[in-house]
Amino acid sequence: MKIEVTKDWCIRMARLEVETGADMGIGGAPAVANPDAVALDPSSGSMPETNIAFGRFVRLMRRKRRQTVESLAEDAEIDVAELVEIEEDNHHRPEPRTVYQLAKHFDLPTPSLMQLAGLSAAKNASFYAEAIRFAARSETVEDLNDIERAALEAFVSVLNDRK
Amino acid sequence: MSIETSPVFLLEVATDQPIEADLLDGIAEQQLVHWEDEWMPVLRDVVARMKAAGIERSKWPQSLHWDWRQKAQGFERALANPGFCVMCQGMTQGMMFLDLLHKARIASQAGKELVYIEYLENAPWNRRHIAGDQVRFAGVGSILVRAAIELSREEGFKGRIGLHSLPQSNPWYANTCGMTDLGADPDYPHQLRYFEMTPEQAEAFLAKGNTS
Amino acid sequence: MALKKTMTLNLTDAEMGALEDLCEKKDLSKTAVLRQALRLYQAVETRVENGAKLFFENEETKEKAEVMML
Repeated sequence: MKIEVTKDWCIRMARLEVETGADMGIGGAPAVANPDAVALDPSSGSMPETNIAFGRFVRLMRRKRRQTVESLAEDAEIDVAELVEIEEDNHHRPEPRTVYQLAKHFDLPTPSLMQLAGLSAAKNASFYAEAIRFAARSETVEDLNDIERAALEAFVSVLNDRK
Repeated sequence: MSIETSPVFLLEVATDQPIEADLLDGIAEQQLVHWEDEWMPVLRDVVARMKAAGIERSKWPQSLHWDWRQKAQGFERALANPGFCVMCQGMTQGMMFLDLLHKARIASQAGKELVYIEYLENAPWNRRHIAGDQVRFAGVGSILVRAAIELSREEGFKGRIGLHSLPQSNPWYANTCGMTDLGADPDYPHQLRYFEMTPEQAEAFLAKGNTS
Repeated sequence: MALKKTMTLNLTDAEMGALEDLCEKKDLSKTAVLRQALRLYQAVETRVENGAKLFFENEETKEKAEVMML
């Protein structure tokens, strides 16, 4: 099918597209998810801050017990590779079973740890605030210093309060 | 299947200059190869960035699973599902598959035939949400919508078209295209909004590019 | 969609009447109705060949009647 379209028409419409910042995806499965929009969408998954807090929390709990990654993985019956990911990768989304095993091992309420891991939503914003405060206070250093220990213990009590 | 070519123009955004392009009334192997070798690596990169930002899998661009090759094979020889594409500088800049067996839903047009835009995708480097300030060509979407309207007229459907828009595209179809928004469609995946263009709205859309 | 070929179609009065009714109802030319009918026929055949069944469902009674395709 031959279509007659003038150069002027094409360019006027193209300028309109530029002016409006238009995107023209059509179709059953979104062809063009908007990464910016998704990143700002609070329902798009775990709060990143809590994931940072979760990784640091696990690491500090392990170090407090003077355990290596391998020995914690073995004791808690979880995969070493996943434990490494939890501690090293703030964006890692842990398996529910792993979080359950860690909660059992650390003797903490599973629902609280699930929330910290971003696997379930916290009932109020103060939990996230606590998690962020904990993450901010617990910059990882070689030895568990007093400040870290205080931060860790304060946060453990927050988690326990949420039973 | 013989494919016919119509000369069109795209706007090169960086230079603000018109660039010669072609509208093809078919999707062939060359377009599928471009999609596989040129579009997908860019989309995969976007996904890698989303993954790094901690965005869960269900929120990633679904076009990763949007298989133009599979669609082209499914629609091969299907009279009801013609495809169109825009080519510029030897590269596929956008693709569209249509369905001619849909009926109009607007009350005044109810039951009348229309051209339904089944899938429309712009090359990732032409999408502001992906390319940011580096968008290469503008005008692809307008030309493809125009092609759907022209086909609708050619088939005697008077320019009526319909489509389910992705959320970020809603303003374009509602405001610039002047289509009627029939709201979120509960029967459609992700409950995308359904838009329809009447013959009069099609006329107005074509006139939009003619007025200075 | 390229070059179109012309053919002569022989229809009975009843068939021509049905075609004209459809043209009026659909606001389409005879050619447009027949082209649309061919598209629909082909689409249904393809689906049935791929294992799908074609049903008409009564919206109120939910009663289904299978359409037999030749």
